[in-house]
Amino acid sequence: MPDGGDWDDEQLLAALGEAIRARQGVPEWFVETGKSAYAWHNIDGELAQLTFDSSRDEDTVAAVRSEAASIRALTFTSPRLSIELEVASDSLLGQIIPPRGGMIEVHTTAGVASSSVDEVGCFAITPIPTSPFRLRCRTEDGTDVLTGWITL
Amino acid sequence: MRDDPTVVALVNRAAGGDPAAWEQIVERYGPLVWSICARFQLSNHDREDVGQNVWLLLVEQLGKLRVPAALPGWLATTTQRECLRVVTTARRSERLGTGLDDALQFVDKTIIDEEILMAERNAALRAAFAELPPKCQRLLAMLTSDPPSSYAVISATLQIPVGSIGPQRARCLERLRKSSALAGFDDFSWTEGEHYA
Repeated sequence: MPDGGDWDDEQLLAALGEAIRARQGVPEWFVETGKSAYAWHNIDGELAQLTFDSSRDEDTVAAVRSEAASIRALTFTSPRLSIELEVASDSLLGQIIPPRGGMIEVHTTAGVASSSVDEVGCFAITPIPTSPFRLRCRTEDGTDVLTGWITL
Repeated sequence: MRDDPTVVALVNRAAGGDPAAWEQIVERYGPLVWSICARFQLSNHDREDVGQNVWLLLVEQLGKLRVPAALPGWLATTTQRECLRVVTTARRSERLGTGLDDALQFVDKTIIDEEILMAERNAALRAAFAELPPKCQRLLAMLTSDPPSSYAVISATLQIPVGSIGPQRARCLERLRKSSALAGFDDFSWTEGEHYA
C-alpha cells in the first residue's frame, strides 16, 4: 500500500488543493463560535443530566393528548437535586426539588444572568434564551449544580 | 486509523488549560464539523447551533476522552447526533412528522468514516503546508487555486522566470512530502482517498 511519501506530485498537489479549499469553505464565524466555547472550560459544579424532555417523549404520548395542551417540560437530575423546567409563552418557569431557596444563573456564550429562587424552590427566567444555555443553581445550603447545554 | 501525536498533545494541552491548543483543535477540525452540517443540508443558523453545541460538549469532555487520538471520530459522531437533533426538532415544529426518516437518509457509516479520514488527511496537509517557507506557500497556493493560475500569471505575480516554476514546484512538493506533519500517513492509500474527489 503506497504511503504519503509515495504520492506523485500531481496527487500531492491535488490533495493539498482539496485540503486548503476545505478550510477556506468554512466561514470565520463558525470557527470563532468554536473557539469561544473554551470559556466554559473548568467551570465547577455538579452536573445535572437531562432525564426528561417532553418534546423527545412527545411521539409516544401525542395520541392521547391535545396538541394545544403541550407545554415543553424538561427535568435535570443530579444526585443532590433536580431542576424542573417548563417553557411558558414568554418565560421559563422552574422549580428545584427538593424545594429550597437560592440563586439560579443562566449561562450563555454571551454572559451570565441570575435570578433568585424563592423558599419553595420556584424561579422564573425572562426572556427565554434563544441561544444554547445552561443553568447553574446555587442553593442556600451550598449545593452547586450545573445543567448540560439546553437548546429550545 | 493512525495515532496522531499532534492531536493527543493538543487535547492534553487544552485539557490542562492552554487556550492556544484549543484554538488549534478548532482550526484543525472545524472543517470536519462544517462538512457534516453540509451533508445534512442545514441552514447557517442551524449550523451555528450544532457547532456551538459540539464544541461546548467537547470542552466538557476534555480530559475525559479515553483515547485522545480518537478525537476526530468523537467529533464526527457528536456532530452527526447534533445534526439529527436539529433536523428532527425543526421538522416536528413544522408538523412534518418526526422527520427522523428524512434525516436518516443523510446517515451512513461509510460516509462518516470517509469524512473522518479526509479530515485527518486535510489537517495534516494544512499543517505541513504551514511549515513550508513563504515562497513555497505562495507558489503552491497559486498552483492549487481553482482554476489553477497559468505559469505566465505565476511568473508575473511571484516574479520568477517561467522556466524555474517547474523545478521550484518539484522542490516545494518534495519538502511538503517530507514534512513531519505528514509522517504516519501510511495506513490508507491514495486510491482510497480518490472517493472524495
